[in-house]
Amino acid sequence: MDKYIRNIYKGVYTVLVGMRVTIRQFFEPNVTHQYPYQHDFEKKQNVREIPKGYRGQLYNRIEDCIGCKKCELICPVDCITITGDKLPKGEQLWDSMNVVHLKDGREVIGIIEGDDKKIMSEDSMTITNITTRLGSQEVIDRLEASGDESRTETFSTEEVSRVVTRNPVVFYLDQFDIDMSLCMYCGLCTEVCPTQCLVMKDSLEGIEYSSFDRTDLIFNFDKQEMYDKDEAENTEAAD
Amino acid sequence: METTQQTESKIIELKPFTDEMVVNMGPQHPSTHGVLRLELRLDGEVVREAIPHIGYLHRCFEKHSENLSYPQIIPFTDRMDYVAAMNQNWGFCLAVEKLMAADESKDFAIPERAEYLRVLICELNRIASHLLSFGTYGMDIGAFTPFLYAFRDRERLLLLFEKICGARLTYNYIRIGGVSEIIPMEPGSIDEQNYLDEIESFLDYFEPKIDEYNDLLTSNSIFSERTMGVAVMSAEMALSYGATGPNIRGSGVDWDLRRDEPYSIYDRFDFDVPVAKDIPELGAVVGDCWSRYKVRMDEMKESVRIVRQILAEGLPDGPVMADLKAVRPPKGEIYFRSEAPRGELGFYIVSDGTPKPVRLKGRSPCFSALSALQELSRGLMVADIIAIIGSIDIVMGEVDR
Repeated sequence: MDKYIRNIYKGVYTVLVGMRVTIRQFFEPNVTHQYPYQHDFEKKQNVREIPKGYRGQLYNRIEDCIGCKKCELICPVDCITITGDKLPKGEQLWDSMNVVHLKDGREVIGIIEGDDKKIMSEDSMTITNITTRLGSQEVIDRLEASGDESRTETFSTEEVSRVVTRNPVVFYLDQFDIDMSLCMYCGLCTEVCPTQCLVMKDSLEGIEYSSFDRTDLIFNFDKQEMYDKDEAENTEAAD
Repeated sequence: METTQQTESKIIELKPFTDEMVVNMGPQHPSTHGVLRLELRLDGEVVREAIPHIGYLHRCFEKHSENLSYPQIIPFTDRMDYVAAMNQNWGFCLAVEKLMAADESKDFAIPERAEYLRVLICELNRIASHLLSFGTYGMDIGAFTPFLYAFRDRERLLLLFEKICGARLTYNYIRIGGVSEIIPMEPGSIDEQNYLDEIESFLDYFEPKIDEYNDLLTSNSIFSERTMGVAVMSAEMALSYGATGPNIRGSGVDWDLRRDEPYSIYDRFDFDVPVAKDIPELGAVVGDCWSRYKVRMDEMKESVRIVRQILAEGLPDGPVMADLKAVRPPKGEIYFRSEAPRGELGFYIVSDGTPKPVRLKGRSPCFSALSALQELSRGLMVADIIAIIGSIDIVMGEVDR
C-alpha cells in the first residue's frame, strides 16, 4: 500500500516537472507557421532567407556553355543529356568577348580594355562595345538613353564578382536537357563546370517548381534561336 | 470412441499453448521508423517470436557503386543513414583516403582546416541525429511534446548545415581529400566568424535544453516505467550480435572508436564516453531500453563539449581540399570503420586500380542492432516491441542500403 501511494506521488510529481517545461513554452512565440497560408515572399512575412549557394533547381546559362560534357560525365544519376556537333571549319557563332558579372546580379557583355586575365587585380575596368546580344536590357537602355556612341562604361573592381571570357564558339549544341525529376541535388555538376555556367538556383524559383506532369520537369536549355537566326534569314531570302 | 480420444490427446501434445496469432506490424507503421515489417507470433499479448522482414528500402547501393567513380558514390552514402548523412560521407571518404594512402608514390595529406571542419560538422550532425532519436522515441512511447521540441532545435542545426553545404538532409559535403568548396568560406573572413558565432549561439541555447529534456522525458514516471528493465541486452549478447555505438555502451561496454581507435583529429579533444550504469534508486538496469536512451542524451553533451573546444581553438588557415588530381586508388583492399551516431560504420572496398571500385561493402550499425530484436523481444508484450525499436534507434535506409 505504501509503495502504491509512493508510486502515485512519483508519477504526479514527474509529470508536473515536465509540465513546468511546457508551460514556459506556452508564453513564447510560435516557432511554426502555416505554409503556404501565412507565407508571403514579396512582403517577407514568415519567410526565412534562402542561404547563398542553396542547392535548388539546375539552371544552365547556355551562352557561357562550352559543351565540354563534364557535367554529363560526373552526374551519378545521368539526368543531363547533351548532344552537339562542331561547326564547319572557319565558321563561328560569335567572336571572343567578356562577360562581367556584377555583384548585384546584373551582367554586362562587351570587350574589356587591357588584359582580361589580370583585370581583377586592378582598381577599375573599362568595357567597350557593350553589345545588345544577350546582354542585360537595363544596361543597354541606360546606355542608349545617354546617347553614348562608343558604348563604353567603367566599373570599379569592387562591384564586379567575376569576369568570364567567352571564346569564339565553334560548336553547336543540339540538346541540353536536364531531367529534374531524376536529379538528386548533389551539386557535383556545378563543381566541375569550367565556365561556371551550370548553377543551382538559390532563390524561390529554384525551390517551388513542382508540377503535375513529370514531363514538365525536363528542362531544355538549348537556345535554338541563337543558331537559327541566319538560317531563318536565308530561308526568307530564298522565298 | 477410442480413436477420438487418441486424436484429442494428440492435439493436446502438438499444441501445448493457446492458439498462436500472427500479426503483421508494418511496413507502414508510424513507430517502425521507416519501412520495417515485423511478423509477430503472439500468444495472447505475449510475443513468442518477432521476426523482422527487411528489404523494403533496398536500393542496391553496393552493386550500384561498382558502376560509379569514387566521388559519385558520396551522394549515395547520404541516402544510407539520412539522419546523419555527414557521418556517412565521412566514413566513406576516410576509407577511400586510407586506400589511397597505401600508394606511396602519391603523397597527399588532408588539410588541417578540412579536418577541423569535418569534426565540427559531424559532431553537430551527431547532435541532430540524437535529437531525432530522442524525439521519435518519446512519440513512440506516447509523449508528443518532446518530438516537437526536438524538431524545433534540429531545425536550427539544419539551417547551419544549409549555410555551409547548401542542403538540409543529403549534404554531400565531405569529399575525398577534404570538404566541399561549393560555398566558399575564406579563412579569417567575416563569413567564417559569423558562422562560428552562430554555432556558438546555438550551443549556448542548446546546452540548457538538454537538462530541460531530461526533466521532460527522461525522468518522467510514465516513460521510465515503460523503458526501465525492459529488454535487457547483456554485454555478452551485445558483443555477439555486433551491436555498436550507443547500443553497446548502453549495455555497459566502454567502447568508442573516437577514443579507442582515434581517427582524424579526435585524439586532440577531451571528451568522455558515456557508459550506462545500474541506477537502483530509479530502477534502471544496465542494458535496458532506458540505458540505451540515456547514453544518447549524455552523448549530446559530449558532442557539445567537442564543438566548444573547436570554437575555442578557431579554425586553422589553409585550403580545405588536398591537392588531388584524380581519385584513383591503387590495387588493394581496405576496411575502415568510424563512429557514426548509430555505431560502427565500416566500408570494405576492393580496388583494381581503376577509378571505380570492384566491390564495396557497407557495414551498417543498424543492421546488427536490428538482428538482436528477435532475441530481445521474446516473452515481452506487444507494447514493449515499440519501446525496443525506438531504443535501438534504427534507420531503415541504412539497414537495407
